[in-house]
Amino acid sequence: MQRKMRGRGVAASWYGIARTATVDRAGAWAELDDGGTAKVVTGVTEIGEGILTVLAQIAAEELGIRPEDVTIGDNDTARSPEAAHAGATRQTYMIGNSVALACREAKARLFTEIAAHWEVDAGSLVAFDGELRAEGTNLAMTMAEAVDLCKRRGVVPVGAGHFTSHGTGLDPEDGSGAPWQAYVFGTQVAEVEVDTVTGEVQVLGLWAAHDVGRVINPRGVEGQIEGGVVQGLGQALMEDYQTANGHPVTHGFAKYILPTALDVPEITSILVEDPDPLSPLGAKGIGEPALVPTAPAIINAIHDAVGVRIRSLPATPEKVLAAIAEKQARAAGAREAAE
Amino acid sequence: MPEMTLDMRVNGRKVTRRADPGQRLLDFLRDELNLTGTKEGCGAGECGTCSVFVDGKLVKSCLMPVAKAQGADIQTVEGLARPGELEAIQKAFHKTGASQCGYCIPGMVMAATSVLREAPEASLDEIKERMGGNICRCTGYSKIIEAVALARDVVTGRASPAVLEPEGVGDSYIGHNVRRLDAPSKVTGRLKYAGDMVMPGMLHMAVLRSPHPHAEIVSIDTSGAEAMEGVACVITADDVPGKDGFGVFVHDQPVMARGKVRHVGEAVAAIAAEDAATARRALAKIRVEYRELPGLFDPEDALKPGAPVIHDYAPDNVVKHIPIRKGDVDKGFAEADLILEDEFSTQQVEHAYLEPEAGLAYVDADDVVTVISPSQNITHHRHMLSEIIAKPINKVRFIMSPVGGGFGGKEDMIYQGMLALAAMKTDRPVRLVFTREESIIASAKRHPSRVKYRMGLKNDGRITAIRFEMLSDGGAYGMSSEGVMRKAAILSCGPYEVENLQVDTTAVYTNNTPSGAFRTFGGMQAQFATESMMDIAAERLGLDPFEIRRRNMMRAGSLTHTQQRLTSASIDRVLEAAEQASRWEPGPVGMRGPTRGDLGGPGTRAPCTLGARFETPKDSKERVA
Ligand code: FES
Ligand code: FES
Repeated sequence: MQRKMRGRGVAASWYGIARTATVDRAGAWAELDDGGTAKVVTGVTEIGEGILTVLAQIAAEELGIRPEDVTIGDNDTARSPEAAHAGATRQTYMIGNSVALACREAKARLFTEIAAHWEVDAGSLVAFDGELRAEGTNLAMTMAEAVDLCKRRGVVPVGAGHFTSHGTGLDPEDGSGAPWQAYVFGTQVAEVEVDTVTGEVQVLGLWAAHDVGRVINPRGVEGQIEGGVVQGLGQALMEDYQTANGHPVTHGFAKYILPTALDVPEITSILVEDPDPLSPLGAKGIGEPALVPTAPAIINAIHDAVGVRIRSLPATPEKVLAAIAEKQARAAGAREAAE
Repeated sequence: MPEMTLDMRVNGRKVTRRADPGQRLLDFLRDELNLTGTKEGCGAGECGTCSVFVDGKLVKSCLMPVAKAQGADIQTVEGLARPGELEAIQKAFHKTGASQCGYCIPGMVMAATSVLREAPEASLDEIKERMGGNICRCTGYSKIIEAVALARDVVTGRASPAVLEPEGVGDSYIGHNVRRLDAPSKVTGRLKYAGDMVMPGMLHMAVLRSPHPHAEIVSIDTSGAEAMEGVACVITADDVPGKDGFGVFVHDQPVMARGKVRHVGEAVAAIAAEDAATARRALAKIRVEYRELPGLFDPEDALKPGAPVIHDYAPDNVVKHIPIRKGDVDKGFAEADLILEDEFSTQQVEHAYLEPEAGLAYVDADDVVTVISPSQNITHHRHMLSEIIAKPINKVRFIMSPVGGGFGGKEDMIYQGMLALAAMKTDRPVRLVFTREESIIASAKRHPSRVKYRMGLKNDGRITAIRFEMLSDGGAYGMSSEGVMRKAAILSCGPYEVENLQVDTTAVYTNNTPSGAFRTFGGMQAQFATESMMDIAAERLGLDPFEIRRRNMMRAGSLTHTQQRLTSASIDRVLEAAEQASRWEPGPVGMRGPTRGDLGGPGTRAPCTLGARFETPKDSKERVA
């Protein structure tokens, strides 16, 4: 065997969107505000995935204004409607849809007033990027003017929305049930190089194809995939929280090894859109699914490279070396037996 | 140490302060000068969130005593750009979407600035190596490196500054790369996380933690600590006025240990004092008498008859068992041409969000007990805390502070209860900031797993039956174990339609660090086993790994493992997309390394050898080979 061996592996995966085996729900309020801006209030929790920007995009699209004109009032149990937790890959799906519905209601209030003013059918109104017009006519105004007019007619354009995901519980005997209404699927291919002298594995390339329903923010989705892949890589190759008789022995970053910029492969994200028919937006989610196939793809690639199967994570250099040595011993034993 | 007068320039302004010369430069900047853009991710020189320039050199301010900065010229992230403006590197982070939770970002921006100053022509590889001392848990580094390269090109004149401007919108904001609205506050260090927040009259909390994995608490004597000057209160389980217990599924965890401790690092008592140092010193004055109990450290042992019992309500130590049955596995195995049996295991994993847990609690003018913290689930926290402190739900308020990474690890209410109790007892605001060590020993981990797998297949690769059995160490408290076992069971056998299956997932109590929610919630542990088995089977049957997956994949109309009828399944599309994008060369699973023709092409990087990539001198004197 050469010292540096390369190989490729693939793993597929699936995941459910929103809370598991139960009804999930989220609520939001929206108001078209002075100057053609908007306030959206919902119990959303930005944990870094970019959900606030996603919600601003959704609100902007629904209301016909620009994302930077949207102010999001986020999670405060005494000030915002319940939208529940940041987890279960649920925020874009649950809260995104409730924000869309709240915005539709606010916009409908506004459109009713403007349509009456223009004496056109509200269905002919279109708003985008701060401009409002009536299709098939020359009538147009800015959203700032529209809000002003609406208020002068005595109407504050507010709306509320909520979204439900109808998961059901599992049967206690056979586990049957419909835990989610939306599923996503993913496939990743990893290319690795294994140093057969040190046992070190480097992941050089990773291709990640994920169905996200509908892409709201492409860079945001890629960021979720890249972050998930690198966490998966950490779990595949290096991370290991250990205790000895209950006493943690890896209680600092000097001992608990995390991936750094040097460990990261080139990552190619391929975003597949299979829109969810049960939701107004069609978007599903990506936060957790991104990390599911990474470790098995890497482990399958190690097998392709050096012919050893790592069954216990992480595939540390010691484990990889031991597996290579065992394989060579077996091969030698087989040769002897054959002679 | 006696105070001394320190003189330095900070962000271009002269600063003179009397301060403890032994304190870390990090604390001096944050506490004395309120420059909280400089973050503490580890306090040990390992993460880079605390990076600042001292006389033009990038240093980790957690490792530098402030006395060493005497007379120095210091630049922090707040000093990079004028208020309201962004430097090219900050604009580049904004443009590429390089900031997620943002906690590592000030340090990253500083490290990137150092790259641009010291090695403005750095290659991608060199950028990565120079940024290698800064950890980010969210982004996977790709967009950070992209941002540094983009700023490099602008700074060196290779690209026009226009590349840093936002992309114009087409006919929809959906599907458009809108730049993150919160990025400017993150790249400038302006965003305040809970540990950066202060309130007038604020007390500081320190927590006494269990040194034993399993022990009865015979007595706790807090009188010595209470008598100390500067201590405002000491709290223990006795201070809980209501029903003491929290957890994502079962409420089996007290705010502080009640009667016994179940894992090393469990909170036993907490102190609120005028400053953090006094609070920490006072911990040593609390006397706790423990009687050690036999411990459980292996999930298999937890199931043995006569095993120590961790929670009285669960005499068998089982947190949750989830069964799934579909079809007839015996019949399925009888029909198989090939039966494979194997075992797989995964380790416990730390979330390692860069922001350690922190929170601030106070009682407001309307008697509302208010907790500000980076929790992932304040809706549920509010319900639990209202029971714990016996107040109506509208007298409990949770406010989310910016979350510096969570990944599931900030779903558990492991400290908010203590903050609320101390605020109620003192009627003053109380803040708690975990150290990195505290965060690691006291917070939940990814469930480790052991899976016993049996798979039957026809010669054509079709799966006829699966038996899947997973045992997980839930650790000392239930936390999210129930949900993790459920999700692991539902997803266990992967995106394949399997007619006959028998799945059991079980989590048990032990005296190890608790396991809880972690991105995928059991999904990755289970599917690691399944995806390994798929390749093992493909190798035995001489099939291409994509092909065996296609032969078994779910389709519209398929019945899932829990017998749900799918109306659509995009697995065919993602398989094809990955196969094409990676230019996969078809062929049976085996050791094909040197012979396959698709290696080393587009989409891969060159392997790296540490230290070999500094084309430009790392500092002006020395050139690294
Ligand atoms: S390196 Fe200083 S806080 Fe981590
Ligand atoms: S963005 Fe880097 S740690 Fe969160």
